[in-house]
Amino acid sequence: MRVSLMFAGNACRLLRNRTDKMTAMPSQVPNTVNEQLAALLAQAGLGNRTAFADLYEATKSKLFAVSLRIVRERHIAEEVLQDSFVNIWNNATKYAVAQSAPMTWMTAIVRNRSLDIVRRPFVEVQDEDDFFAINMEDERPGPDEQLVAKRDQVKIERCMQGLDGEQQQTISLAFFQGLSHSEVASHLGKPLGTVKTHIRRGLLKLKGCLES
Amino acid sequence: MKLGNPELRSRLASEYVLGTLKGGARRRFEDHLKNDATLRTEVAGWERHLSPLAERLAPVTPSDRVWTRIEARLDRQSPNSPSAVKAVSLWESLTFWRSLGLRASTLAVALLTAMLVLKPVEQSPILTAVLAEDNNVARVFVEQQKSGMLMVKMVTPWKTMNGMSLELWVVPKEGAPRSLGLINDTGETRLALTGMDEKLSGGLVFALSKEPPGGAPTGQPTGSVMCKGAIAHMPSKVPRTPI
Repeated sequence: MRVSLMFAGNACRLLRNRTDKMTAMPSQVPNTVNEQLAALLAQAGLGNRTAFADLYEATKSKLFAVSLRIVRERHIAEEVLQDSFVNIWNNATKYAVAQSAPMTWMTAIVRNRSLDIVRRPFVEVQDEDDFFAINMEDERPGPDEQLVAKRDQVKIERCMQGLDGEQQQTISLAFFQGLSHSEVASHLGKPLGTVKTHIRRGLLKLKGCLES
Repeated sequence: MKLGNPELRSRLASEYVLGTLKGGARRRFEDHLKNDATLRTEVAGWERHLSPLAERLAPVTPSDRVWTRIEARLDRQSPNSPSAVKAVSLWESLTFWRSLGLRASTLAVALLTAMLVLKPVEQSPILTAVLAEDNNVARVFVEQQKSGMLMVKMVTPWKTMNGMSLELWVVPKEGAPRSLGLINDTGETRLALTGMDEKLSGGLVFALSKEPPGGAPTGQPTGSVMCKGAIAHMPSKVPRTPI
C-alpha cells in the first residue's frame, strides 16, 4: 500500500509541477508511473535533488527487495542500494527512455551491483532456510504492487506459465537469488548440464513468447 | 572471447541479465558491452523481458540511513558532477561568460523594469539578478530571499515557447554551467533544490536557455541563450557582533 501511496503522492506533486511549468502543454502531463519516473529521472539528470529524492522514495522498497533477495543480508543490500542510487544520479543523463522503462533501467543497475557484491568471497551467505523464513513469505504480487509495468508483468507471468516446471524453477532461482548454474544445480541436486539446458531452453522459449 | 556468433551473443546476453554469467566471464562480457552497441541492445532487450519478474517480490522498506548516506555521498561529489563536463557551442566558452559583466546602462534599464513590476519585499534579498536579452529587454528577475530557495519571475514573457522548456543555469567562475531547474514561461517559479547554495557558490551569471521539453537532455545547456544577467550579491543584513 505504501508504494501505491507514494506513487500517488509523487503523481500529484509532479502533476502540479508540470502544470505550473507547462501551462501551454497540458497534453504533456505524464499519466503513467513510467512517465512519472522518467520525468523524475530527467530532472535528476539536471541536478534536481528534490526530484531525485522523490525517485528514491518511489522505488526504494522494490529495488531493496530485488537486492535483498540476491545478497540476503540487509546491511549488504543497503550498501547496494546506496551504490546504485549514486550510480543512478551520476548516470541519469545517460538514461535513454527509448531503450528501456525507468524501472527496468534501475532494476538492472541494482541487480548488477548485487551480483557484483555477492561474488565477493568475504560475503557470507546466510543459511537459505532462515532466509526464506524471513523474506519469502509473500511471493504473490498484491494489487498494489502491480502498478508498475503491469502489462509487462502480466505478459511475462503468462509466458513463465508456458514453461515446464523445471525451466521455471531454474530460471526463477537464477534470477531472484543470483545463483550460478552450478549453484542452481547443487540447490536442486541435479546435474550441471541438465540445469544449463533447462535454463537455455527456458530462456529461448520465454523470449519467443515475450516477442510474439 | 570473440563475440561474432549471433546465437552465442544472444545466449551470453541472456545469461548476463539472468545473472548466471559469473566471475571472469561476466567481467569480460562487460568489457565487450562497452564497445558493442548491438550487444547493449541485446542486453537491454533481455532486461526488458526479465525485469518485470521483479514485480513478484514483496517490497521491503530499507532503513532511513540509506538515503542519508546517499545524500552525504552526493554532497561529497562536486556540485556539478551529474552534468559531467560536456558543454557545447557558446556555453563552452566560459571566458565569454566571465567577461560578460553587464554594462551599467543595461543594468539600470533592467532594474528599473523589474522594480516597476515586482511587489516590494519586506526581506532584503541575498542576491538578485536581472536577466536581459542582448537588446537590453529585461525578461527575467531572479532573487534569493533565503538559503536554498530561488524566486524567478518572468518579467516579460515570450509570446510562445513552441513546446520548449526554459532552463535556468548558473555560470560559475570555473567549471561548467550548473542547472538550477526549469522555470515557468509566465509568472513566478520557486526553485528549491537540495544543494542550491553549493550550486550558487562562485556563480557569476545566471542564464536562461531554451531546451527540449523536460530540460537539457545532456545535463549541459544545449539550446540557445534566451537572456542572461550578472549576479549581484547583497550586503549581509545580519548585524556584525562587536569583537
